[in-house]
Amino acid sequence: MMIIMKANATPQEVEAVIAQIKSMGLAVHLSQGVEATIIGAIGETHSIPTERFEGLDGVDIVQRITQPYKLASRQFHPDDSIISLDGFNVGGNQIAVIAGPCSVESRSQIIETAIAVKEAGASALRGGVFKPRTSPYSFQGLGEEGLELLAEAREKTGLPIVVEIMSQVQVDVMVKYVDVLQVGARNMQNFNLLRAIGETRTAVLLKRGLSATIEELLMSAEYILAGGNQRVMLCERGIRTFETSTRNTTDINAIPVLKNLTHLPVILDPSHSTGHADYVAAIARAGIAAGADGLIIEVHPDPAKAVSDGKQSLKPEKFAELVKQVGQIAQIMGRGLASVQGEYSPLKQGWA
Amino acid sequence: MMIIMHPGAPREQIDAVIAEIEKHKLSSHPIFGVEQTIIGAVGDGHYVAKEIFEALPGVLSVQRISQPYKLASRQFHEQDSVFQLDGFTVGGTEVPIIAGPCSVESREQILEIAQAVKEAGANALRGGVFKPRTSPYAFQGLGEEGLEYMAEAREKTGLPIVVEVMAVSQIAMMEKYVDVFQLGARNMQNFNLLRAIGETRTPVLFKRGMSATIEEMLMASEYIISGGNTRVMLCERGIRTFETATRNTTDINAIPVLKKLTHLPVIIDPSHSTGDSAYVSAIAKAGVAAGADGVIVEVHNDPAHAISDGKQSLTPEAFARMVKQVKAVAEAVDRRLVPQHVTA
Repeated sequence: MMIIMKANATPQEVEAVIAQIKSMGLAVHLSQGVEATIIGAIGETHSIPTERFEGLDGVDIVQRITQPYKLASRQFHPDDSIISLDGFNVGGNQIAVIAGPCSVESRSQIIETAIAVKEAGASALRGGVFKPRTSPYSFQGLGEEGLELLAEAREKTGLPIVVEIMSQVQVDVMVKYVDVLQVGARNMQNFNLLRAIGETRTAVLLKRGLSATIEELLMSAEYILAGGNQRVMLCERGIRTFETSTRNTTDINAIPVLKNLTHLPVILDPSHSTGHADYVAAIARAGIAAGADGLIIEVHPDPAKAVSDGKQSLKPEKFAELVKQVGQIAQIMGRGLASVQGEYSPLKQGWA
Repeated sequence: MMIIMHPGAPREQIDAVIAEIEKHKLSSHPIFGVEQTIIGAVGDGHYVAKEIFEALPGVLSVQRISQPYKLASRQFHEQDSVFQLDGFTVGGTEVPIIAGPCSVESREQILEIAQAVKEAGANALRGGVFKPRTSPYAFQGLGEEGLEYMAEAREKTGLPIVVEVMAVSQIAMMEKYVDVFQLGARNMQNFNLLRAIGETRTPVLFKRGMSATIEEMLMASEYIISGGNTRVMLCERGIRTFETATRNTTDINAIPVLKKLTHLPVIIDPSHSTGDSAYVSAIAKAGVAAGADGVIVEVHNDPAHAISDGKQSLTPEAFARMVKQVKAVAEAVDRRLVPQHVTA
């Protein structure tokens, strides 16, 4: 950490900062310039908040040199983390394609969608049963009944299931059913929820908050990792910007930036990051070309009648086309789609 | 256009709006709801400013249904615009790559880079001679001397040259030298400059403003096209957001959105949209995978000593690797790079 003193800081103020650094067990490196004094605090500083120095008299700016997260950083863990799910790995050479409806609406809807996405090449099934809807009057999800339906869909197709968790109180029931806990964008900084998930050993898909920086996303991942749950996948799902022609702005830069900063797998959600079915395939291809480890895509058998996110949901046929295109990009990146290693052949899967 | 009246707006106000609509040769379609009246204005209304209606008494809000631009729209011009530059086409199957330094720094520098990017697979040479730098104390470019060097580099390599124009007063002189005018992000809404470029017949690489919406970008390109210069390429170069990990945020959505809204070719600039050479190649690939028609990249023979944009500049070797990767992506989406022609 670098503590830059104000130009008129007194020697006593400089001494006080030095004493504070030493009291934290850190080494001091003092450099007295012509205009300002800069004090370096050297050691394990990732757990020390910058506020500890910003409040001291005579301090102008406190700058972090090392990252404020540790377990999530590539420095700490240079090799890619590979997370094994039922039947495939995320974060290695296989590209995971998670697909399914925004919400589980009924038994026939989720079973039909599960079979369709499996046939089209999906490697996991998504479906929400607790829905964080902007309006309190909108459909809020089927709850545990929906989990039963998802479990049935898994049994029929073999696809592991990815389901959003909205509250700590849901942890016990969710871990009985789901393969991957999804933390939604609106809960990225629900720290109690993050801690509770950190106590489980269920894999997590952590979505970036609507206005969260990449560093804040990694700090949230650190909450889960610090609890001992190492199976965290990060998800770029678009950020809030001034542009209104799409629901969100896909921060495609976040893909190579995250691959550089962290060892955790990075998944792209082009459905939310564009908000429009017409753009999903193009952005899915872009994500894989930029180095993403997987995709999560909303698919609905009848988007016009979906209770939520119909506008951004693909029909199964469109999704099948997307999978083919993404497979071609994956191949030139030296990767392949999960569960359909090599050539895609639905008949080989024997799901029926 | 839809004009939504305040709840309880009296009949006289509604009639006044209808009269105004008809004055603009549009037909009016009022819908009388329980709480509110909505009046549709139907016809070719792209040239009618919505402010005219917003100012009328009793009007709550005005919503455009059709796009406020016309010549740039795909509705008006369904087929992709494809145009010819020296040695290649833009907007068709070929994906051209434009490369070169941020600034022309010296004769040796530009000749060396031109040769290097040509060998690595570039199809056009970029290089700034008038530089819109944030600080007035930073290097401002070599001016016409730089253009002479660019022209010499073109002669030696056969690569057409792309150079930024910053002011109306530079146009006449620059036209003699350059193959493509670049309009920089900071000038995207310099309307006098846009009009003056519209009067020329030199192709334009038109960069999106740092905080410009896609619609504003298309409106600004309409200035050039409406002057008769139809050879406009749009360039996504990243937008300003709250994220600080990169210099800008590449709005990758803009690529398929633009391809849907307009017939003009769309180029991606991963150098400015990331600001970091470590990420340029990944975003170049992403751009082409998303459907971009070309890539413009900053390349410098010695990035550490570049006068400007060193951090985001690729070395010629890194650029050559990027070209190989982009080639593979282009082929995966049924496009191809421009076949290499023999140097003149």
